Amino acid sequence: MEQVEADGLRKKYGDTVALDGVSLSVEEGEVFGLVGPNGAGKTTLVRCLTGTTRPTDGDPSLLGKSPEEVDKSRVSVLPQEFSPPERLTPEELVGYYASLYPREETRDPAEVVEEMGLSSSHDTRYADLSGGQKSRLKVAISLVNDPDVLFLDEPTTGIDPEGREDVWGVVERLADEGTTVFLTTHYMREVERLADRVALLSDGTVVEVGATDDVIREHAGEPRLVVRTVGSAEEAAESLGAMAEDGTVVFENVAVDGIGEALDALDDADIEYDEVRWREPGLEDAYLRLTGGRNDG
Amino acid sequence: MVSLRRVRGEARAEWGSFLRKPAAVFFTFVFPAILVALFAAVVGAGGGFFEEPQGYYFAGYLAFVVLLTPLSRLSSTVARGRDSRRFEKLATTPLTRVEWLAAHVAVNGVLIFGASVLITVLLLTVGGASLSFTPASAVVTVAAVVVAVAGFCGLGVLIGAAVSSEDGAIAVSNGVGFPMLFLADTFVAPDALGAGAPVVEALPLTYFSRAVRAATFAREEAVTEPLVILAVFSAALFAAGAYALPWQD
Repeated sequence: MEQVEADGLRKKYGDTVALDGVSLSVEEGEVFGLVGPNGAGKTTLVRCLTGTTRPTDGDPSLLGKSPEEVDKSRVSVLPQEFSPPERLTPEELVGYYASLYPREETRDPAEVVEEMGLSSSHDTRYADLSGGQKSRLKVAISLVNDPDVLFLDEPTTGIDPEGREDVWGVVERLADEGTTVFLTTHYMREVERLADRVALLSDGTVVEVGATDDVIREHAGEPRLVVRTVGSAEEAAESLGAMAEDGTVVFENVAVDGIGEALDALDDADIEYDEVRWREPGLEDAYLRLTGGRNDG
Repeated sequence: MVSLRRVRGEARAEWGSFLRKPAAVFFTFVFPAILVALFAAVVGAGGGFFEEPQGYYFAGYLAFVVLLTPLSRLSSTVARGRDSRRFEKLATTPLTRVEWLAAHVAVNGVLIFGASVLITVLLLTVGGASLSFTPASAVVTVAAVVVAVAGFCGLGVLIGAAVSSEDGAIAVSNGVGFPMLFLADTFVAPDALGAGAPVVEALPLTYFSRAVRAATFAREEAVTEPLVILAVFSAALFAAGAYALPWQD
């Protein structure tokens, strides 16, 4: 069953078009990534889908109902840049948000705090927690009603790599448990690691949607080996039948096990080099190709 | 349907936050006490605008906390909550706007009741005021405080929802609150206000001060009429405030 659905969503703020005919659907138990730079319309789409703003046109649907009619106990949202009351401790905050749901549908706050690895900071006020702890606590707050569908709007923006890793671990565990997760981010690596399917959003329009691996395979291009030569890159490239680009020799479509062979060819041709770079193309490459390089996020 | 569990949860979180903010405790309890002490000294000296006995100004002292505490607290809470996306989060939970505002009325009601008791004690002991407290006048005073707090919490929300920053919300609260405080038949009689006199009847605080003064000082004046008008004002402000909460953008 489709848990989240957008059908031709359009949202205008004055003359500014934030969403322009967005259609997508998210299946039960799926981790769905919505990717785009700042200003692409990700947060507006989440707001339309969760009922905190009304679309100008089109129909959002959540668990088969309009966002205004859905049972709010079955859904949870972590808004972008959300900050809870700062003087309460983790357990008090989780308890506070738990109290907003029917008792029988909530989890034990102490258990949620422990599960998020925050037990050691149980008497520390939110304001005094580290960035990673704050992020984990915000996710903990979002889990207290044990939601069927969880919206995470840029949950790792502005936090350190350790904190980001913590949040990723939580999302992976939720996915294993079958929770439907709608994740928005401008970190392509986040979606590559977490999302089963992805939608690429640019200027309020979905430019591609599909399984993450398929989108990368179809649109990201081939892996490239880039070698910075000591001498002329143009001459080296010509002698090797490769391409010269910005003072480097570029070997197109070189798999990881073909790197040695390419370097042997350089040695055989007595070409000296001082830097070698190989990169497997990812979602960012797919995004840049599909949008003509419009990733300013 | 209003859920007491949700109202209690919201109120408990607000109460916990308040107690851990020393500046908020100071401005809620100590500041009014300083004001009473200063005014009591001025009124005790007699002359000028303040020719009435101390007991006459009791309603004005209560009006100070009943008006300014909810205005500044609610307007800043709403502005801060919008900036920190708390309302966006709350809007996706079962909590309703009416429940949120009811919880904050409850917390502010308790705070203001405490401050009012402190003011009363100070005025009777330090200021030497003469107040005619009976069980009936106490009930009227408490009822007026509760009803007024509900309305002024609604007005605070309206200010917080209309102003884009927390600092701006507090500034507008003071800009609205202080003129209203002195124009509402509290410290200055309407006939001494000159051009400002017609405004007096349009201010909800006027009916609070008249109800409290009638109950505690000028026993011959009617209590019911100002109390009913205050209740109508407060119901409208509460409803408007609940509607204005930034649940949706």
